[in-house]
Amino acid sequence: MGCESDSRLPETADEFKNAICRHLKDTLGQYWEQAADRELFWAGSLAVRDILIEKMLQTEARYRDADAKRLYYLSMEFLIGRSLGKNLYNLGILAPFAEALQALDRDLEKIRDCERDAALGNGGLGRLAACFLDSLATMDMPGFGYGINYQYGLFKQEIDNGYQKEKLDNWLVHGSPWQIERPERACIIPIYGRIEHAQDVNGAYNPMWLDWQLIIGVPHDMLIAGYGGRSVNFLRLYSARASDEFDMQIFNRGDYIRAVERKVASETVTKVLYPADDIEAGRELRLIQEYFFVACALRDIMRRYTQKHTTFDPFTHKVAIQLNDTHPALAIAELMRMLVDEHQVPWEEAWRISCGTFAYTNHTLLAEALEKWPVELLARVLPRHLQIIYEINRRFLEQVAQKWPADNQRLRRLSLIEESSPKQVRMAHLAIVGSHTVNGVAALHSRLLKENLFPDFNALWPQKFTNKTNGITPRRWLLKANPHLSRLISAHIGRGWVRDLERLRDLEPLAADAGFRADFERIKRRNKEHLAAVIFETTRVRVDPGSLFDIQAKRIHEYKRQLLKVMSIVQRYLAIVEQSRLPQVVRTFIFAGKAAPGYTAAKRMIKLINSVAQTVNRDPRVKGLLKVVFIPDYRVSLAEKIIPAADLSEQISTAGKEASGTGNMKFALNGALTVGTLDGANIEIMEEVGAENIFIFGLRAEQIRQMRARGTYNPWDYYLADEDIRQVVDAFAGKRFCPDEPGLFRPVFDALLHQGDVYFHLADFGPYIETERRIDDGFADKAAWTRKAVLNVARMGKFSSDRTISEYAHDIWNLKPVQ
Amino acid sequence: MQIEIEKQDGVAVVRALEKRIDASLSGEFKAKLLEAIREGNKRIVLDISMVEFIDSSGLGAIISGLKAVGEDGKLVVSGSTENVRSMFRLTRMDRIFSIYDTEQEAVHALTADNG
Repeated sequence: MGCESDSRLPETADEFKNAICRHLKDTLGQYWEQAADRELFWAGSLAVRDILIEKMLQTEARYRDADAKRLYYLSMEFLIGRSLGKNLYNLGILAPFAEALQALDRDLEKIRDCERDAALGNGGLGRLAACFLDSLATMDMPGFGYGINYQYGLFKQEIDNGYQKEKLDNWLVHGSPWQIERPERACIIPIYGRIEHAQDVNGAYNPMWLDWQLIIGVPHDMLIAGYGGRSVNFLRLYSARASDEFDMQIFNRGDYIRAVERKVASETVTKVLYPADDIEAGRELRLIQEYFFVACALRDIMRRYTQKHTTFDPFTHKVAIQLNDTHPALAIAELMRMLVDEHQVPWEEAWRISCGTFAYTNHTLLAEALEKWPVELLARVLPRHLQIIYEINRRFLEQVAQKWPADNQRLRRLSLIEESSPKQVRMAHLAIVGSHTVNGVAALHSRLLKENLFPDFNALWPQKFTNKTNGITPRRWLLKANPHLSRLISAHIGRGWVRDLERLRDLEPLAADAGFRADFERIKRRNKEHLAAVIFETTRVRVDPGSLFDIQAKRIHEYKRQLLKVMSIVQRYLAIVEQSRLPQVVRTFIFAGKAAPGYTAAKRMIKLINSVAQTVNRDPRVKGLLKVVFIPDYRVSLAEKIIPAADLSEQISTAGKEASGTGNMKFALNGALTVGTLDGANIEIMEEVGAENIFIFGLRAEQIRQMRARGTYNPWDYYLADEDIRQVVDAFAGKRFCPDEPGLFRPVFDALLHQGDVYFHLADFGPYIETERRIDDGFADKAAWTRKAVLNVARMGKFSSDRTISEYAHDIWNLKPVQ
Repeated sequence: MQIEIEKQDGVAVVRALEKRIDASLSGEFKAKLLEAIREGNKRIVLDISMVEFIDSSGLGAIISGLKAVGEDGKLVVSGSTENVRSMFRLTRMDRIFSIYDTEQEAVHALTADNG
């Protein structure tokens, strides 16, 4: 006898109403008449989850029957955002669900607003992982995410007197209806300990890892519905727990406090997401986090594999593992340990399997951002893994020495161990050596990886390096985020674009259609009104939806050059108040983004933006001409409101610094024109939309590299030669924007002039201002502007994460859809 | 920590009668095991079929036993559950111990080895 469920899943509005009421009463113990919106959100989400679970089980059975190869995407970050709306869209149940809520006197929007963002990531890297999961499920591919179930996601940002204040993001304080805890799949993870150098029964060297401590990893699954709902995959996130029974033993001996202390220490491992650029403090915990989740993931992968297979011969035909940056690179040492130590696979064979399994995505060109771990720390936390890394390195350097005999400098450069003080393990080198493929995330980035960051590795294994330009899921970033535009598009070209974004090309002829453009403009206006309301709610600043919404929304970092944007605003402001030069177009400058808590220059930038905003917005001389706002707490759900409202998307990083960017794609897909440098994916966006439909300016990566190499860049040259620059930069040195705290922004002045202007603000300022004038001219011609905006939307098909995933699946994972 | 010692054909069978051997019990476990060895038992079957979980301190106690019997003695393990066996594999201890499925097999192996 099986255990067949006879409960029918809801499809109609009536059935959803019943399902919601059933969950309200049976699960939450509440009648709908008395239920708060949050309870309705829970009951509604549980009704949706019932469908997800059913479909996940069907999907899993399909994959199992096919004995399909599976892709495991290992990432420290998954920036999921909210799930209710996305699930309603992807399962195709938005209308009956909304109708059911209406019948219960509730509004879907209000219910959706009860959901807290799952902010388990910092920015691009984590959001990319989330988009990839959506694409994998949509394309019926057996692809699964593995990560950490942080108790506290990325901090909540509040603005106090213009300064960023970080607050805990206790996103699980009320639990999450989307998580399914699976204690029966918990795994035991050892850390610390020592190696005892022993001999086995045959007299061979047998290093034994002893005296470790244990952490328990408990998986929590979030179900990921593909568009159309045919396939539902999962994202498995691990929480660290102390071993309860172990604690019981200590309890029994009456040592209550020690038991609690041990429990707290173990569970600290998954407490908090480290902000990017800020992982110096508590590095040991970060290392343990990285090991903990890959060790959990590999046990789960191995368990699933060994259920079906008795040898490791077909392992690489059944398992592919993608390392999202170097954070999960310890997985290479862990798989080797499992194969060699636990399964007694000979080293050479284990290495062949391991290299055939892993692939590594690099996300940065900033050499200083490449991860390294002190050897001493690894020796203490993971002594067996350090041994394995040394052995990998020994064999690898033998290979290098064979190819380049007597080239000690090259050996030193390529080694997994940096012979610095203290000695460090280079995680990127481990990831490259242990992977069959290494990819960058945009064409320029992939080229610079080979030429500038890893030239020696490229000389050794040129075929290992490839490019996979990032993408974004059109389900969240157009269908859901911009429902009015989605409807307009579908009304003209059908709904095929949702699965095949290249179909947006069919919109091109409509760019010349005045009626279509008028509808397009009305929708943009409506989105801007919506954002204006959000801005007023959060900042009490009123902005004009008729003005040009000029938006820079992204993590605050010097290389992303929020400062260049601020400089252009100051220039515009000073031109009005000091030279009475009125701008042709009214602009609203909108910023959003978080700064790492320990990143002083980035936090100062937020204060500067707010101070400039305060000065400008209060000055009657510029009333009606420009406004500046900083919207606090940038996150996925806020991005979904900001992006559809943008006229202009600011992508102005120092060329050669931004790996790809994905915000640039989201804005353009929603009909914003881009002003940007030839950096990251901006270049490919330009190639797609056409140079005449994007505003490109500034130095190229190669020019900057040469200027750096030759030492020919001197910001003083620009300062002394250009009156505009002088005025703007001097304004930072004085008290114009900080009357109560003179000198507050002096460090900005110093960075630009006395510290060499590392990010080439002054070199690019002139061309940027010139481009801003062209933008004003362009926006003044509404029809021409909208025509360009429509063409941007029509030509963004390449940037669907479905295309990216297809390329990964074909070129790297050898992964096939299972339908 | 409860253990039981029984002699069979010159072999001491030491049975661990706990479901868990962890830091709270491993000290006592080690002391009793070493005491049995000091009493002259050099051919030992350590039966751990009742043990469902063992941590690194428990494993350490077993290694101490192996060292104490010395080169002229023998300590083998019997009846390890899958959980415990996985801990042996994790530490590579499975390569320094002979591990038998049952106590009888282990005793037989040691007596056969005796000639």
